[in-house]
Amino acid sequence: MKRIIVACGSGVATSQTVASKVAELCEQRGIMAEVEAVDIKSLDAHIKNCDLYISITPYVKEDYGVPTISGIPFLTGVGMEEAMKEVERILKVK
Amino acid sequence: MEITQVSTLFNPELILFDVTANDRTELLKKLSQKLKEKGYVRESFEEAVIEREKVYPTGLPTPGVSVALPHTDSIHVLKPVILIANLKRPVAFKEMGNGIRDILAELVFMLAINQPEKQIEVLKKLMSIFSKKDVLLAIKEAKNPSKVLEILKEQMN
Repeated sequence: MKRIIVACGSGVATSQTVASKVAELCEQRGIMAEVEAVDIKSLDAHIKNCDLYISITPYVKEDYGVPTISGIPFLTGVGMEEAMKEVERILKVK
Repeated sequence: MEITQVSTLFNPELILFDVTANDRTELLKKLSQKLKEKGYVRESFEEAVIEREKVYPTGLPTPGVSVALPHTDSIHVLKPVILIANLKRPVAFKEMGNGIRDILAELVFMLAINQPEKQIEVLKKLMSIFSKKDVLLAIKEAKNPSKVLEILKEQMN
């Protein structure tokens, strides 16, 4: 089981929505992944054991050492197909 | 688990038209005050939403009509609601996830969310509208709250 983390500033609205969308898309494509929305403040604790980090904040404190993509396409629908291909590619090589 | 329905997350009195503001902060202040007047958020919401927008901007380059989704931590929220402001003139927000580019938002969806696990279905459906240019334009062109609600219900049910 792969682990995907989505973070936004409050962990309330946008990260939950993106996480749920990504989970739905993974399921449709037969990707076994657990997708979790977290508050940016608890990102450090979560990021160590994830396979992919989906970011929807401009705030990058450091290079977390895990593959990172932007979650915006999952909100606007623009470029979502490409973003999902990227998710598949990253999870496959890991 | 009780799932929040679309109709309960909108209030016709919080679907606003021809909203004017000189800048983002003035707009956020105005909209927060509306939420406070109606008893949806705490006094602290206003400052929290303004501060959060600086650090984690919420402008989205959606097709047809750019939107912004200001929101903040659930501790500032008393009752969940989604306020919609149709702006008379676009107001610049920074782009979500980027923070550099200006997004000239014409529609603002201010989210007062306190239990995301219950409200996630509505939020997801709301977000799905953001990829539909025709729907965004129809909301932008709508002249009264009942028309906006009609569009939302059609799209979200």
